[in-house]
Amino acid sequence: MTDPSLAVRRLARSFVFKVILVWLVILGCGGLGFSLIRLNVGFIGEWWRFIVYGEGTSDVWRVGLITTVFISVISIIGAIILAFLSALGRLSRNPLAYGISTFYVSLIRGTPLIVQIFILYFGLPQINQQLAKLIPNFEQQFSLLSNLLLLPALPTGILALSLNYGAYMTEVFRAGIQSVSKGQAEAATALGMTPGQTMWRIVLPQAIRIIIPPVGNDFIAMTKDSALVSVIGVQELLWRAQKVGVQNFRSMETLLIAAGIYWVLTIALQAIQSRIEKRLARGDR
Amino acid sequence: MVRITNLHKVFGKLNVLKGISLEVSQREVVCVIGKSGSGKSTLLRSINFLEEPTSGSIEVDGVEVTPALTGRQRKERIHKVRLLTGMVFQDFNLFPHKSVIDNVIEALLIVKKIPRAQAVEIGESFLGKVGLIDKRDEYPARLSGGQKQRVAIARALAMDPKVMLFDEPTSALDPELIGEVINVMEAVANEGMTMIVVTHEISFARDTADRVVYMEDGNIVEEGAPSQIFSVPQDARTQQFLQRYLNGRS
Repeated sequence: MTDPSLAVRRLARSFVFKVILVWLVILGCGGLGFSLIRLNVGFIGEWWRFIVYGEGTSDVWRVGLITTVFISVISIIGAIILAFLSALGRLSRNPLAYGISTFYVSLIRGTPLIVQIFILYFGLPQINQQLAKLIPNFEQQFSLLSNLLLLPALPTGILALSLNYGAYMTEVFRAGIQSVSKGQAEAATALGMTPGQTMWRIVLPQAIRIIIPPVGNDFIAMTKDSALVSVIGVQELLWRAQKVGVQNFRSMETLLIAAGIYWVLTIALQAIQSRIEKRLARGDR
Repeated sequence: MVRITNLHKVFGKLNVLKGISLEVSQREVVCVIGKSGSGKSTLLRSINFLEEPTSGSIEVDGVEVTPALTGRQRKERIHKVRLLTGMVFQDFNLFPHKSVIDNVIEALLIVKKIPRAQAVEIGESFLGKVGLIDKRDEYPARLSGGQKQRVAIARALAMDPKVMLFDEPTSALDPELIGEVINVMEAVANEGMTMIVVTHEISFARDTADRVVYMEDGNIVEEGAPSQIFSVPQDARTQQFLQRYLNGRS
């Protein structure tokens, strides 16, 4: 007599086995295709370290993957701050705060990210130019504003991603904050807490559990969207892959390197995220 | 201790409170009864400004908030009133992300800025009073409804208020858990706390209240000693309410 649970397990195992097989076959077909177009594997082996972390240059471990990760991490922090403020505005009964928040979300969500990047990088300097014409000594007198209008590529990219994801995450934060019952804020208020203390100590800690999973998703999406800032010359992963590829007529090789790295990166991030989610679920009380 | 003068509250087109005046003296226990929608909860929530009154003034322990008062001064007064009043809600509103003791001491720490060790001492003494010191480190989700409400009472008492406001404290409880909460409330009353209790618990009103206020349609219809209200109500509306209510219960 066979143990039914054993049979189920065997079936499950064979399912996993078959799926792995399918993956391998797809990869094999891809490999075959690449060999038909004479993909230069040697070239990949030779160049991937240079592309991914700038091996052999004075910038080693300061470009490529590191830049990609750096941009993503700083931008998600910026986006979280913006989304929180914007969600507060969205929940406010103050018409100014509500108006600013809804305008920001509508404008950013209604325009392509790449257009936003271009406007910040190529458009703002034009404002600086005009102001410099109108106001004598503008760049010296208002150096902060002037510097903001002439932001270098890397900070521009971070700003664009922060603004963009901040707008998308506004709704996530709003929903998270609203998911905490009104009675919580009332209890805190009745105990004498200020609106700030109530938000910070009572509402936000409860909202965070709702907010974290979608923010994790957005972080993974952002690491991929960070490739867009290559268009303004930030030396992140895609920029380097493309430069090396074009110069050597080996674009497929270098782009595959970039794609592979992004893939591995998102798989790793997804694994981390599912762990965090499991922990959040376990802490349910 | 509490003086409510000509309090009006309008929600959109709805006239919830139509000029309520009520005085509660020190150590007095006042029960507010009435149908749902009579405005009794709104009245209670106006005392600590969870509801902003449309007009009328509130005075708690000499701190008066009048409509003339605006801006920062008003905010400061309202804050003072909230420190003088403790509130217990129908659905407890314990903070689910904090343990029982942390629920009780949270406001001691961040509102009164009492050092943690001292706050814990205060918190434990009040948990002892409501008989839940052994649940000190549990989270609210692990407590029964009656236990939750007792923690909520301890949390409010720990702030050392002059007046306790109870908003239907037993309405969300299973019948067998009502008794333990009522017992705690009676103990609080016996220690001389000034209490305003919105309740459907006629037995509590009869046994513990010094005065019963019957509200209907945004007005106080009748008030008096429980013996008078429950045995010889003067107003026809009070009679009708009590008749229906008491019959419905038995």
